[in-house]
This record gives sequence, structure tokens and C-alpha cells, in this order.
Amino acid sequence: MNDVPPAVELRGITKRFPGVVANSDINLVVRRSEVHAIVGENGAGKSTLMKTLYGMHRPDEGTIAVNGKHVHFKSPADAIAAGIGMVHQHFMLADNFTVLENIVLGSEPRTGLALDFVGARRKLAEISTSYGLDLEPDALVEDLGVGDRQRVEIAKVLYRGATTLILDEPTAVLVPQEVDELFGNLAELKSEGLTVIFISHKLDEVRRVADSITVIRRGTTVGTADPNSVTARQLAEMMVGSELPTLETRDSTVTDEVVLGVEDLTVLLPTGRPVVDSVSFQVRRGEVVGIAGVEGNGQSELVETIMGLHELAAGTLRFGAEDMTGWSTRQRRESGVGFIPEDRQRQGMLLDAPLWENRILGNQTRPPAVKGIFIDRSAARKDCARIMQEYDVRAPGCDTLAVALSGGNQQKLIVGREMSGNPKLLIAAHPTRGVDVGAQAAIWELLKDARSAGLAIILVSADLDELIGLSDTLYVMLRGRLVAQLDPADVTPEQLGIHMTGAAA
Amino acid sequence: MNLVRRVGLTLFAPTLALIVALAISAIVILAIGESPLVALRELFNFGDSSASQIQAVTVILNRAIPLFLAGLAVSIGFRMGLFNIGVEGQYRLATIMAAWVGSAIVLPAPLHLLLIVVVAMAVGAIWAGIAGVLKVTRGVSEVISTIMLNFIAIGLASYLLTGPFRGTPEGSLTIATEDLPESGRLASLNGLLGQLGLAQPRTDLSGFLIPAIVVGVVVAVVVKRTRFGFDLRASGLNPAAATTSGVNAKGMVVKAMLISGGLAGLIGLPDLLGDTYHYGTEFTSGLGFLGIAVALLGRNNPLGIAFGALLFGFLDRAALSLQFAGIPSQVVTIIQGTIVLAVVIANEVARRIAIRQAERSGANLPTAGPPAGEQPATVAT
Repeated sequence: MNDVPPAVELRGITKRFPGVVANSDINLVVRRSEVHAIVGENGAGKSTLMKTLYGMHRPDEGTIAVNGKHVHFKSPADAIAAGIGMVHQHFMLADNFTVLENIVLGSEPRTGLALDFVGARRKLAEISTSYGLDLEPDALVEDLGVGDRQRVEIAKVLYRGATTLILDEPTAVLVPQEVDELFGNLAELKSEGLTVIFISHKLDEVRRVADSITVIRRGTTVGTADPNSVTARQLAEMMVGSELPTLETRDSTVTDEVVLGVEDLTVLLPTGRPVVDSVSFQVRRGEVVGIAGVEGNGQSELVETIMGLHELAAGTLRFGAEDMTGWSTRQRRESGVGFIPEDRQRQGMLLDAPLWENRILGNQTRPPAVKGIFIDRSAARKDCARIMQEYDVRAPGCDTLAVALSGGNQQKLIVGREMSGNPKLLIAAHPTRGVDVGAQAAIWELLKDARSAGLAIILVSADLDELIGLSDTLYVMLRGRLVAQLDPADVTPEQLGIHMTGAAA
Repeated sequence: MNLVRRVGLTLFAPTLALIVALAISAIVILAIGESPLVALRELFNFGDSSASQIQAVTVILNRAIPLFLAGLAVSIGFRMGLFNIGVEGQYRLATIMAAWVGSAIVLPAPLHLLLIVVVAMAVGAIWAGIAGVLKVTRGVSEVISTIMLNFIAIGLASYLLTGPFRGTPEGSLTIATEDLPESGRLASLNGLLGQLGLAQPRTDLSGFLIPAIVVGVVVAVVVKRTRFGFDLRASGLNPAAATTSGVNAKGMVVKAMLISGGLAGLIGLPDLLGDTYHYGTEFTSGLGFLGIAVALLGRNNPLGIAFGALLFGFLDRAALSLQFAGIPSQVVTIIQGTIVLAVVIANEVARRIAIRQAERSGANLPTAGPPAGEQPATVAT
């Protein structure tokens, strides 16, 4: 193999970028016709690196070579022309188009002025059979499951002539059974001579599917490993350094006092389809209620409705003894509901504002941030400094703009802020997504301590270990309904996965 | 980032923009065969006597006051990402209504003035509020609705002026509302100038200077120091985060439009109360659109808006003296246009520099980057 130039070779790539871990001095060699896994913790800089390779932004330093030739990508179009294709973590498909239409979208085949669907159909059929993708060209994408949609994305990339495919956390949205199918497809691709770059932070999957592994930690490549000989433990240590955070369960602190009662909650989409469908559950003082589910099954809408951000079509919400169904978001916050939103930069931060103003966000009506109708700047600053110290937010000071902080530090500030009003109920949506491992351990500790202190917590997460490790009660959400209640003490991630697809029913 | 650097960066952008704009204007003046140096001299030619200099400053201030109010009105919308293009129609309609009410009613002086101000603000607020209500109930873009409301307002004002509100006799050359009685007029500040030992200008220095400054201070305090202002700015910086934090997005849109329109209602008052005493066909127009430019110049900051208004007033004053020097007065419009463009571009550049600096200061923290002295390891290759 040594005489063949590598499919992709990155040397000394450095990229500075707002809000996320920078890449510094990345070195990566991907041989042809292999599945090369890039592993690292959430927020280690894997996605940043892949965006560099896909031409979505330019590196500040370093070189990229494809098939032995140096390249400078100005845009993804250049990367596609060089044979590099990307399957994004979040699918970019038009729901109301067919599979075929989605695949040709953006590179429509033409004969004169008309679209050449006949030729496109033939090409898609070839791709579908030779790589075992098993696609039905005329099916509407909105009728497809997650696994099928992912194969459409892969076919889309192949249709554009990609010989090197980047898959960004492809298994994040899949349940274990779908992961097996995906790995079958990857084997087909490899046997047809294509190269796959597989980004993940799940060690078992990586060891199953990859031919070689490169580990990224804190924005830089820390080494390579052979999946046949490396153990999961060794890989984990390369990924996180030495300290591995553990999630040991503790004694139950659940009390009988119901803090939140959700009864028959239904939320409709603008189309009239229920996205949350008669959901009922309770959260008690000192209890963590975990909500598992493949993303997009109504979890976001459920928690946002509890925060008062969506109108409910039916059902009631009780907070303690009171009916809070008709309350505004502000009333809910004032009464002691804290919220860690799933997309912290979009829903939880004013990126262009200093930290002390971000401390006020969500607490506009409560001391110490305000005095009467006025903002109390000095008190807000002082309390911001307290949060920075108590929650280990690493930033130069309270006047720093929020955009300057890493994801983990932004998240710690949000956690600190939401805890500072002495909430009775905390809604945590993906509280450790995209944060570094140190911050993850810190946030877990904070949630556990808060639980012991009597806080009621709703935890939505895609991290099954996090859910099992932290929850006292675990529900599975599927197509808007709570389909199972499980005991986190004796459920495995695999069993949870079965419930998440609805295969258990 | 330390204070000196931040202030430096804040001033750097507009200064650079001003220099670039003047350079472009100089090229334009050269292209039409005139001397940029003559033009520059005329810009700063305030006359030789102290009386003519006071006069020049008075003209600048009188022009700057309504521009400042217009800039404030626009900036309230901008602060939360709303484009109130309708300031023009709001102040025209507000002024004619205020002029009519003021002339139809007689009250003791302070109350009479207060009533006129309240009517003007209320009409401006209601007219802008229509756009706000349409946005939150029907999802109509405020850009479109305010532009369309401008046409309606201007047409309505013309109808009222020529019909029911006409105060001048049929067949007279001027078409205007009836003049305000004495009790509805605002004294000029010329007396104050006299007390300060300064020469009397030929034109009256508008008494609205003081209320305008007060309004500017109030707006600054409300936006920067109050809970309401925080909600307003948060809605502008990140609407989704503001809603999540408990801000009622729809309510905020309506409130911001009402305040913006209320301020717009004030724009015509310096002229109405202190100069013309009526609304007529010759009443100053275009202030609402200029207000957008002034708000952009001032980066929605009341102090900046004051500078922007003064700069526009300064340039407008020179229009006449430029013509005396044989240079078309349109040069002033060109300078104003290039300044706004240059400032907008420079502000964006400055914003990016500021963010990059902030990132760099964040990137130097101990959390980012691998700890020193750690060697890349290779396991079982």
C-alpha cells in the first residue's frame, strides 16, 4: 500500500473559531479504501476539523493533500470536485420531495432545458445496487425512517462522485439495530474502493467498524491506534487524558412531594399532527426523571411546552399545588423553573453581550440582577463573578463577551445561572452536549448535588449512559408518546435502544 | 479588553469612515471640475463676525434637533431588530394632528404645549402601532407595512390639510393649518444666548433643544439601565434566547413600535412649536428617512445619534455657501450618503475585530489547547 498516496493527508492544521475548541496542529493520514475513524470527546474539535476538510472554512495554518496533491478548498464545491463528500449529522433533506428529487437537488441533470430524470434514475439505481443501499427512488422522504434518510444522504454524496466520504457522528441519531445496517453499508463502500472517514465518540462502534483510528483531544491529534489490538479502555484514556469521569448511582433522594404534574399534554404542529401526544408524568422533589428517545420524537417540544414556549392543544401542567397551564414563561421562571436549553447558543446566550448581561438573562425580574425597574449592574457583575468562581467558568472576567468562551464554559455559566434563583424544578435538555470531558463531569456532579438538595429535575439526553446513570425514573419517548417506563437500575443501553425504535411494542 | 482599547476601537471606525467618505467626495467634486479644497473651505466657513458664527451654529443645531429625534425613533426599532421605515409617515401625520388640535383648543401655556406634545406622540405611536399589531397578529413584515403606511399617512395628511384642517382662506397661495395661539408656542433660546453674553443669531435657536436632550437622556437610561431596555436589547441580539428567558416576544414588538412611533411624533414639533406654528405644504419633509441614516451613523446609541445629527446638520448648513462658491449643493447629499455607507462598513469591520479580539482573549485561557509538554502517543500501530 505504501506506493499509493493517501486519500487524504492533513499536516499541521490549525483553526481558530468562535465558541468551540480550536484545532491546533492536526495531523491525519487516511489511506485509500479504508474506514478511518476519528474519535474524540464531544467538543474535542472533530467537527471543526471535518468542516475544514470539506471546505466549509479555511484553516489558519497547515496543508491538505488529496490523493497526494495539495489542495486549497474555498468552498464545499471545491471539496466535492476533489471527490470529498460529507454526510452531516443533521440531515439536509427536503421532506416533501422524493428520494430521487432530493438526490438530484443542487446538481440537476439536464437535457437541454428539461430535467433528465431518466438518466438520474438509472444512475441512482446503479449506486443503490452496487453499494447495497436499497433505496426506493419514488418514496417521499417524509415517510422514511432515520436509517433510510441517512442512506439517502450517503447516496446523495455518491451521486456527486465522491470517493472519500465523511460521516459526521452518523450513529448519533440511530438506534443499535440501525447502526448494524449502517456498518453493513460502510463495508460495501469499502469493498468498492471508496474511503470513509467516520467521526464518532463511541468507542465500541469505532473498534467494530474502523480499519484505523486517529484520536483527537482538546483540538489536536494525540495519536493513532489499531482497532484490532487497542482496548476500549486504552482508547478512552487517549481521548480524555487520564481522568475518566464515572457515573455511579447513589442512594435515592426521591420524596413524595410532587413538584411538576404533567397530565395528558398534547402539542400540535402547525400541520395539525401531534408532536407531543397525551403525555402524562410526574416529577417529585429530589427526583431525576430521564426522557430517552431518538432525537425528533417530541422531547424538545415537551420540555419547551413545560417552559411555556409552545401553546398546548390539550392537557394541564401543575406546579406544586398550582395550575400553571396558562402561565407565561416569565411567570414560570419567577415561580422557580430553571431551564438549560438544548441549543445553548441559540436559546441560552446573548453571544455578543458580556457575561454579566448573560447572567441577567432569564432573571430579568429577580434580584440580585435588578432593583425595581432598573438593572443593578454592580450586583449583576458581582453575582456573575460568584457563578464564575463556584461553577468554574474559565473566562478573563465578567466583561468578556460570551462568544469568547468555549462551549463547556458557556454551559457552566448557564447551569450556574439557572441554579442561582433557587429553582424547584430544573429542565436540563442535553446538558453535556458538546462540552469537554472535564465540564461534563462537573455538570454531572452539579446535577447530582442539586438532586440531593431536593431539586426536581427533568433530563432529556441523547447520551444513554448519562440518562441511565443520572435518572431515578426513565421514560422512553417515541413519536410524541411516552411508550415505556424503565428502571434505570437494571436497563442496558441496548434494551433502551429497542424501546426507542418501538421494536419492543 | 481594556477601556482605552475599547474606546479607541469605537472611535476608530467612524473616524476612518469619515476620512474615506471625504476622500470619495473629493474625487466626485474633482470629477465635476470643481476644487475639493474650496468645498472643504466652504464647509468650515462660518463667517468672520461672531454674529455670523453664532448664526451658523444655530442653523446646525436647529437642523440637528429633529434629526436627533428621528434617529432616536429609528434606533428603538433597530435595537430589537425591527425596521421602522415608517418614521416619515408617523411624524407627518402626528404633526398635522398636533397642529390642528393645538390651534383648535386654547389652554394655559404649559398645558397647551403639553397637550400638543401628547397628541403628537399618541398619533405617531398609534400609526406605528398598526404595523406592530399587524406583525404579531398576521405576521406582516414591519418593513412592508411601515412603507405602505407612509403612503397612507402622507396622503391622509394632504387630504386633511387641503380639506378639514385647512386654516388659510380659499384661494390663498399658502395651504396650511391655522397658526397656533401664543399659548401653544415654545420660546426660543435666544434669550439664553443673550444671558450668556453671545450675539443674537438672525434665526431663533429652537427651544426644543432642551426637551430633545432630555428625551435623549431618558432613551439612553431606558435602553441601557432598565429591565425593559434589557428585554429590548436581548430581543434584538437573540430573539430565541430572549423568548426562552421569559420575554414576551409579541408584546415586545408592539411596545417597541409604540415607543418608536411616539418618539417619531416629536420630530415635527421643533418646527411647529418654535418656527412655523402651523403645518403646511412647505413643512420640512424627509426627516424620517434621514433618521435611518442618523441612527446607522450613531450605532443606535443616543450619544452617537447626537453626533450623527450634528454632522448632518453641519453638512446641510454648507449647502447654501457651496452654491455661492459655484459648487452644486448636491455635493452635500453625496457626502452624507458616502459617510453612511462608509460608517456601516467600518462598524462591521470594527465589530469583527472586536469579536476576534474577544475570541483570542478567550483562547488564551488554560482550558483551551492541550497542556504543555504532552507528546502525541501512538498505541499499537
